[in-house]
Amino acid sequence: MADVPVDLAAALARLGKVYAQRVRGELDELTQVAAGLESEADVRPSLEQLHQHLHRIAGAGGTLGFKTLSQAARALEIEANGWLSQDVVALDVAQRRRFADAVATLVDHLSQCETAPTQAVAQAPSARTTAFGHGGKVAVWLVEDEIPLGEHLVHLLGQFGYEPRLYTRFDAVAAAVRDQCPDCLVMDPHSTAEDLGAVEALMTSPSFQALNCPVIFVSANGDFPSRMRAARLGVDGFMLKPLDIPRLVDRIGRILEERHADPYRVLVVDDDRDLAEHLRLVLSADGMDVDVLSEPEQVIEAVATFHPELVLMDMHMPDYSGPELATVIRHHDDLLGLPIVYLSAEQDRAKQIQALRSGADDFLTKPISDTELVAAVRVRAARFRQLANLMTKDSLTGLLKHARIKESIVRELARAQRTGHPLAVAMLDIDRFKQVNDRYGHAVGDRVIMALAHLLKQRLRKSDGIGRYGGEEFVVILPDCDLQMAQNVLEDIRARFEVLPFLHDGHEFRCTLSAGIASTGEHPEADDGQLLIAADQALYAAKHGGRNQIQVSPVL
Amino acid sequence: MSELQRVLYVEDEPDIQTVAKIALEVVGGFTVKICSSGEEALAAAEDFDPDMILLDVMMPGMDGPSTLAALRQRPALAQTPVAFMTAKVQPQEVTQFKSLGALDVIAKPFEPMQLANQVRALWEESSG
Repeated sequence: MADVPVDLAAALARLGKVYAQRVRGELDELTQVAAGLESEADVRPSLEQLHQHLHRIAGAGGTLGFKTLSQAARALEIEANGWLSQDVVALDVAQRRRFADAVATLVDHLSQCETAPTQAVAQAPSARTTAFGHGGKVAVWLVEDEIPLGEHLVHLLGQFGYEPRLYTRFDAVAAAVRDQCPDCLVMDPHSTAEDLGAVEALMTSPSFQALNCPVIFVSANGDFPSRMRAARLGVDGFMLKPLDIPRLVDRIGRILEERHADPYRVLVVDDDRDLAEHLRLVLSADGMDVDVLSEPEQVIEAVATFHPELVLMDMHMPDYSGPELATVIRHHDDLLGLPIVYLSAEQDRAKQIQALRSGADDFLTKPISDTELVAAVRVRAARFRQLANLMTKDSLTGLLKHARIKESIVRELARAQRTGHPLAVAMLDIDRFKQVNDRYGHAVGDRVIMALAHLLKQRLRKSDGIGRYGGEEFVVILPDCDLQMAQNVLEDIRARFEVLPFLHDGHEFRCTLSAGIASTGEHPEADDGQLLIAADQALYAAKHGGRNQIQVSPVL
Repeated sequence: MSELQRVLYVEDEPDIQTVAKIALEVVGGFTVKICSSGEEALAAAEDFDPDMILLDVMMPGMDGPSTLAALRQRPALAQTPVAFMTAKVQPQEVTQFKSLGALDVIAKPFEPMQLANQVRALWEESSG
């Protein structure tokens, strides 16, 4: 039996090769058909043809190892299906074009299974595409010439929900970034002069710098000159080989969080519409999310729905003064920390100080330059966000803290009861975590916890709540999710976690997790506490049943 | 308990047929028969006498669910375990497929190395 999978691998590789050749031709045809959509009066026949082919590619492509091709084709299939289900297919020109462009880029995915990426890139359309778009997955490109190691990394990054792509040569990446930009580039710069030259040429080229793509170096050589060279090239991270994957994932996560941080939310309260509009333009131009409120009576509602991180208000409005409004805001306990900044022509210091007594944080004097305004607002909003994160989020994992996750369950349960949608709550616990800490030390234990936190963040939806409940215990809240769905999701996470290798002193080890799920479907009368207890009991059953498993709470 | 030996796979897509056949024969050691349509499956199933049937959901002509319904009309196949193969694994759909009498749903695209194990696990669940 032992040599059998090798036969299979070889057979599959052959099939994959034949398939790639054939599907390349098929994709060419589809690209033509999709391009024709723009000028067709009735797009239904073409769309039906496209739908049928995309469905086949999505199915067969995935089975033959072209995973990203399959996913991309699936996304387009679903979109086409949505259109076809309308009585009259109504598509505007922009939709047709976008769809055609997306079909045209499918061929890019073929390069992922081929040995010479440069060939595929040469055939890729010149239209620029951002890799981030494919199913919302984060594209991480690797340059690694040791193919087994590279493939191992690709596999593990895939486990974390990233969309990795492997290149073995720097010139191939340099060519690829002309058409597509990854969300993060991870490469080993090597130490041969030739490779170093290629890396430097790539990173200093104006076209690459324009991409503003984060780069992480992984290197067997961590001496000062190597690190300095990396720093001078503007590298975002430097990691030593042998590579600690959870650490790499953590690094990528942090870089992307910084890059993709939500814009600061600023609420402008001003009855002067022209001025308010000006403030909005200036702050928006700097990337902030600005809401203008011209009726001060609505301020509490506006704050509750928009969740601003700073309120910028006029001192003098016809019916109310700034300090009066600030007092109303401060009467709400949960808004005590919200920064309020006045903007006014008031020059009298005494009056300014008087105004601050009512609970505002600062006073900006008109006229103020746009640069000054942006800087003043940004710095305060950033501070507020930092403090808010400290209060609500666990410092190690960035997940919700114990108290917050409980609040979140209360909120989601109320919502579930209102909407009639199911809600699932799960408790997760890393198996025999104490042994990890005892054997490898707490620093390593922390990395295991962080790895699971990243996995949860990557695999769960944005609307799901994830909290660190205790040391190695996590709680996830899954709105609009029944027991079966929750089980599928957690089983997937369990299976991915189980295969993650952790490193300690060159020694590799793995961890597993157990989880218990309770859903409102089975516990319709349960309150938040009872739901958590039910999940905890299921977790206990999972531990008792031998760990590394998911158990669900039975109907009471 | 007897062993899972004979698997009938109904699937219209030639590429997937090939991969599935290899995966089930080589890894699982099963005897595999592939049919390209529900109609073909109905014609061949009784003679082949499968221990287990895998049905693609979306096929031109007879789709998976109607093939299942028709297979269940044959006394010899009324109890044969059936699993659907589909990309659409929304929980509601899984429930719906199960209510039709399928054991479970195997998600497509399947992993060739795992398929035989998945099939065997389902079969063991149903028979033991």
